[in-house]
Amino acid sequence: MATNILEAQGIVKQFGGLTAVNNVDFVIPKGTICSLIGPNGAGKTTFFNMITGLYVPTSGSMIFDGQSIVGLKPDQVTARGVGRTFQNIRLFANMTALENVLVGQHTRLKANLLGILLQTRGVKAEEERARQRALELLEFVGLARQRMDEMSKNLPYGDQRRLEIARALATNPKLLLLDEPTAGMNPQETDALTRLMRQIRDELGITVLLIEHDMKVVMGISEKVTVLDHGGKIAEGLPEDVRANEQVVEAYLGKGAAAQGKGGGGVRKAVVQSAEGT
Amino acid sequence: MSRAINIGVWTGVFGLFIIVLFGGQSVLAAGLICGLLTGLLGGARTEGETMQAGVRDGLIAAAVAGVILIVSNVLRNIIITPLVGQNVPSTAEVLSFGIAGAAITMVLGAALGAAHFLPGRRSSYATWGILGLVILIYPFLDYSIQLGWLGIVITGLIFILLALGLNIVVGYAGLLDLGYAAFFAIGAYTAAFLSSSYIGDQLNFANPRVSFWLVIFIAAAMAGLFGLILGAPTLPLRGDYLAIVTLGFGEIVPIVFRNLDTFGITIFGHEFIKTFNLTGGELGISPIDPPKLPGLDFANRSDQRPWYFLLVLIILFSIFLINRLRRSRLGRAWMAMREDELAASSMGINIVRTKLLAFAMGASFSGFGGAYFGAFVGGAFPSAFDFSVSVIVLCMVILGGLGNIPGVIVGGLIIELSDRLFLPQITLLLQSIAQHNANNPSLSGLQRFDPTLYRTGLFGLVLVLMMQLRPEGLLPNARRKLELHAAQDSPAEAAQGRTDLYDVEAEAAGS
Repeated sequence: MATNILEAQGIVKQFGGLTAVNNVDFVIPKGTICSLIGPNGAGKTTFFNMITGLYVPTSGSMIFDGQSIVGLKPDQVTARGVGRTFQNIRLFANMTALENVLVGQHTRLKANLLGILLQTRGVKAEEERARQRALELLEFVGLARQRMDEMSKNLPYGDQRRLEIARALATNPKLLLLDEPTAGMNPQETDALTRLMRQIRDELGITVLLIEHDMKVVMGISEKVTVLDHGGKIAEGLPEDVRANEQVVEAYLGKGAAAQGKGGGGVRKAVVQSAEGT
Repeated sequence: MSRAINIGVWTGVFGLFIIVLFGGQSVLAAGLICGLLTGLLGGARTEGETMQAGVRDGLIAAAVAGVILIVSNVLRNIIITPLVGQNVPSTAEVLSFGIAGAAITMVLGAALGAAHFLPGRRSSYATWGILGLVILIYPFLDYSIQLGWLGIVITGLIFILLALGLNIVVGYAGLLDLGYAAFFAIGAYTAAFLSSSYIGDQLNFANPRVSFWLVIFIAAAMAGLFGLILGAPTLPLRGDYLAIVTLGFGEIVPIVFRNLDTFGITIFGHEFIKTFNLTGGELGISPIDPPKLPGLDFANRSDQRPWYFLLVLIILFSIFLINRLRRSRLGRAWMAMREDELAASSMGINIVRTKLLAFAMGASFSGFGGAYFGAFVGGAFPSAFDFSVSVIVLCMVILGGLGNIPGVIVGGLIIELSDRLFLPQITLLLQSIAQHNANNPSLSGLQRFDPTLYRTGLFGLVLVLMMQLRPEGLLPNARRKLELHAAQDSPAEAAQGRTDLYDVEAEAAGS
């Protein structure tokens, strides 16, 4: 049991009459990079939001690191060790890059009101350590040193994505959730980010779960791929198995295309090719 | 060069305004103010200029303003002084005071201009040093030329203290609080209960009188406590709802103090607490003991300099503390919450607790100010804490630039001085012109014109103009300015141009 960082069972989320996530079982083994894919509206981000406490599942259990996290507030989930980024970047736009990362360390710092007003030695030392750590993290994600004091909204798009990852890492997560980290990036940036994700797992030992539309990234990096469609899990397994799964092709390209693919393999080849990035 | 002249002209016109209004030796005070303005604005050029350029520009601006000061002092004494029926001083006196005023302006202008271009941190040390000197000298000048501004300046400074506190709530944490005056009232009444003989007089016993130095902190704690009590149920509300709840609270508190003149608890005919007058109703509670400090006389109402210096110290200390907060874990959490509540909570910030803390901190500043105000005015009256106080303080925060401490101070001074000093003085001047020229029909008509009646209208006008012309405030912090003016070309828009890779795949598959 201890080998899984997250175990979700029978997760259901309904918004009024709409079932966004329907009875999904989902397990993330410790130290892996897992992907959650599926067409738009499949329920991926809803699932993310349930892990991080923004939504409470209608039913089902969610065990993170041996403890249930159902019903916890987002900040409590973060304190337990789940970090995340957002699909549409949600940096603190009018704060500097460095301040953004410092905010990420909020739960790991202990300074209280009295300590801050008196500027006790402990608070000063902690603040200095936090600053050092923030600089290290910014360097780790590859943000240039001269950009640290820039207002985060003035950073180039790719840097904003990286900064968001640094901010999530600052929360000292055991599990890092990345919501479409490569969206809107060019191939070079995407490659760099893929390397970064690997580094996060290998060097920092953090388990990574990502939602991603870029099949090349997903297939290249994941040890396990889970496919959602219409709120239900339709496939799960190694990247190559998922890629070969009829239901998955169908979900992405429609029934007709899948049938055609079974016969001649033309369309299927296209999917596979694009997935391989040729 | 032309910019310096421009600034000189504008500050000179402001000086003229002061001289025309107050006459007498007010030219000296005008010189002080003009010197500050020309020095800070005229001497402060773009980076890379030399110190000589700073001194030169400061001097040019100050010289232009100084000439205007001399001329307007002469004109005032020739034209207006006789109209008002005051004694016209000798020409030598008029000229020498005019020149003295101009000299003050030029010295300050040049010094501040030079200070601006000192290397590194020494620049700000020197600037603050000069400002500190002016702050130190001002009350003595006021006292010796009988300007009579000091009381109003002190009230203005109390409001600045409030604005600094509200800035935490509105500027840093982004919570719109429209009932800030309620905490001000709570502070003042706490002081009234603890350091006057009122309660004892009502209930016939000699109550202990707590010292001012203790009361201000008790009042701050009390207001903070009420901030928590009000905030706990309401702060989970967002934006507009919070504004409405605080607005209601701000209205309720003065009414409660007004109506508690018949306070008592009677249940089933049994009188638990005998009905008595707890708050003095409309008349309020007075007198409140002034602070006691060996060597300083706070009780002498005709010399308010000790009050002034005490308040300046309190404000400096507050700024010091607020700066510590802003650069700390808590300050960052407030700002993060203002920027994006959802992202902030996902970064581990407990939204409710953080909001509550900001709210309570703001409230304690208000309570602190309230206790000082009560002791300064010598009483607590419900009419002193009505809605307009909340609005004025909010205006100060907005006028100066949200989230920016120097901006808040400048905004506060401008609003308070125009409201309590210039507007009433205009009225006074017009009235006395009318009285001394009762047989001149075109002048005696001024009797009926009272500009103070237009004060709320003028407020509204200033706010609308500000929002249209300079929404970031007079001294904006860099963040706000960027936020309001550069929103068009933010790089986040690049995200909009992204192509959905699925569409591309589908297209590739379809072809």
